[in-house]
Amino acid sequence: MLNRFTTASLVRKIVYSTSKDLNLINLSKHISSTSLSNVQNATKPIRKHNWNQAVSEAEKIVGYPTSFLSLRWLLSDEIANVALHLRKLVGSNHPLLKTAKNLIYDGRSNMQAWGLIVLLISKAAGHAPHIPDLEEDKSAGVLHSQRALAEVTEMIRTSTLVHQGMVNLQTLNHSGNELAADSEMIFGNKIALLGGDYLLGNACLQLAGLRNQDLIGLISSAVRDLAESNFVGDRDDENIALPSDPALKINLTDDKPLDDFDNTRDIDMSLIFGHPEREWNFRHTLSSGTLLGKSCQGTLKLAGQSEALQKHGYTFGKHLALAYQASMDLEPFKLQELPLTATFSLISAPVLFHIDHDPSLYEEIRCGKKSVTNIDFRKIHKIVTDGPGIDETKELQRKHGQIAMDVLNEFPDCDARTALQNIILAMQCL
Amino acid sequence: MLLEDELKYIFEDIRQELHEGTNQKELIQIAEYYFGGNGKALRPMVTLLMGKAINYHIHRENSPRTVDAQRKIAMIAEMIHSASLIHDDVIDQSFSRRGKPSVNVLWNHKKVTQAGDYVLAIASIMLSRLKHDEVTLMLSAVLNDLVQGEFMQLGAKETENERFSHYFTKTFRKTASLIANACKGSATIAGADPQIVETAFQYGKNLGLAFQFVDDLLDFVSSSETMGKPTAADLKLGLATAPVLFACEKYPELNPMIMRRFKEPGDVEKAFELVHKSQGLEQTRFLARKHCLEAIKLANKLAESPYQKGLVDIMDLVLNRMK
Repeated sequence: MLNRFTTASLVRKIVYSTSKDLNLINLSKHISSTSLSNVQNATKPIRKHNWNQAVSEAEKIVGYPTSFLSLRWLLSDEIANVALHLRKLVGSNHPLLKTAKNLIYDGRSNMQAWGLIVLLISKAAGHAPHIPDLEEDKSAGVLHSQRALAEVTEMIRTSTLVHQGMVNLQTLNHSGNELAADSEMIFGNKIALLGGDYLLGNACLQLAGLRNQDLIGLISSAVRDLAESNFVGDRDDENIALPSDPALKINLTDDKPLDDFDNTRDIDMSLIFGHPEREWNFRHTLSSGTLLGKSCQGTLKLAGQSEALQKHGYTFGKHLALAYQASMDLEPFKLQELPLTATFSLISAPVLFHIDHDPSLYEEIRCGKKSVTNIDFRKIHKIVTDGPGIDETKELQRKHGQIAMDVLNEFPDCDARTALQNIILAMQCL
Repeated sequence: MLLEDELKYIFEDIRQELHEGTNQKELIQIAEYYFGGNGKALRPMVTLLMGKAINYHIHRENSPRTVDAQRKIAMIAEMIHSASLIHDDVIDQSFSRRGKPSVNVLWNHKKVTQAGDYVLAIASIMLSRLKHDEVTLMLSAVLNDLVQGEFMQLGAKETENERFSHYFTKTFRKTASLIANACKGSATIAGADPQIVETAFQYGKNLGLAFQFVDDLLDFVSSSETMGKPTAADLKLGLATAPVLFACEKYPELNPMIMRRFKEPGDVEKAFELVHKSQGLEQTRFLARKHCLEAIKLANKLAESPYQKGLVDIMDLVLNRMK
């Protein structure tokens, strides 16, 4: 979507400007000193907090990169089948092709990052003495079961992305006697649906193989959260999320954080909608926070760690996911001008913050009730870029990154912890 | 009927579980749409009967504590089934199911897909609460079977003599695996010995296969009103089921049509006619009867009880049903 070269130069600019930030400098000092005291560590202090470098250094720490998983997929009959069918879709407009391309090429939203985080936190925490040595993958310092869980996390995340990359064909009222143009779309949906189901089914089976019922309940609840996230708030006909009407905002003197929940049943939605940070928090906790949080919690469960440390794992994973989301939300706004056909998430933090600052922006959003294609993205981009939403989002990003950072201090100093710290820092500069 | 009340509560309890998992109203609406009680409830019925028959076989009059867990397995089996129906309806662009418009007609397909995932997630949470590793593995394997069965349905690349074994494997994965593993799970959690567990599995497998063969047969003879879905639907979807495969032995001109998935104009009508002219329907019924008899033989290995008798009687319903 965004040109790589322009973003790269923008990233450099941002790195330069944000390094003036005191907070960040303090953190970097902290990281380099711990790394220096640990000369034999695989990770060296990373000056520029480059994302790709942070990730590839981190991958070395936990043995082979988790992208080994993709190799296994390529060797499976069903996926080979899907790849074969995908070729038939080349030339059609089905978004599944784009989903597939993003999964393979996009270095930042790629599926491997989640599994990697799970492996790193596993190594950082170590495992309880009662876990037999046989269970451990010595070279990497993680348990075989933890590696399996990291794969499950990646499969679930990918499955959701693939299912979301379908097309709504409800408006086709000629079910059964399809037209040629529709048949490509119907076929694309079929492959996306089955492909996602295949990943989800495999994830369930692999999870069941870990023989830990508490873990299965925990990860299943993350799958539930992901499904639920697709129903929250206003949406257009393609189920693309729209911000809530700012008129719905209820100001509370008692500002409860509203971000700690085991399920959403007990949440009063009227307190969520229209309030920028709460709405952002709620939507993204469901759509990515709980999966990473519960996976980090689960991997510590597998390691036989205390309930308290497991809870830390959840907090770490959830806030890391939110910090990552905020970084992604900022990305389109690093461009001076939005390319003609480009779009961005309308429930991204900069947009929500701006609507709160100036509710008149919501009038532009209203045009997209039926389809977001009716929205003038370039206009919104311009307005938001010039407004306070960007800085507020940077603040939000740092806030969640800092919470994740603080949790890491509960873990012993080691190469995996340093790698996680570097990933958090690199995120701020994405 | 033996379990009528109990089945009614199964559906009520499923709906309650789905309500408790979320406060998103539309998600609940889609998720519970197929639990309205219009279905045949074959899976929970067979699972419950098997559980009770086995409990009697092991404990006689003393009903064991596992009854509640067995009931949960029946609920989970129905939930996995419904989740797969929800996804099937999106894939096949159906019009109607169980006498009402199908989910894909009423709601956004992206939401419908997610609602199917939601039903599975809730079923999986319920399964984890049973705290039984083996049972969890069995029912998780069913999910894989269901998807692989769907994948097998996508392409008709196999040669003529592979077709029947392909059709059998597909039918096991798409229909029989769930019933077989639900029966096996119910027997396992009751603490039955390995032989009885295997009996339960084989009974479910034979019942599932017979059920699907009859289903494939009815697709050629039933009218849309009694089936709740249109006739010759399989042909229209490009699928060659048992009646066509049998008919093909007598009318080889069906071969190219099978290979091109009845895509050319007139294919569906021609294939439909040839099936009726051949012995395909009788042969399919014969095949279904064979599996029914096998299931009855297996049911008779269990101690005689009203439930065990139910397992025998249900085969008559499977074979002679009109819808």
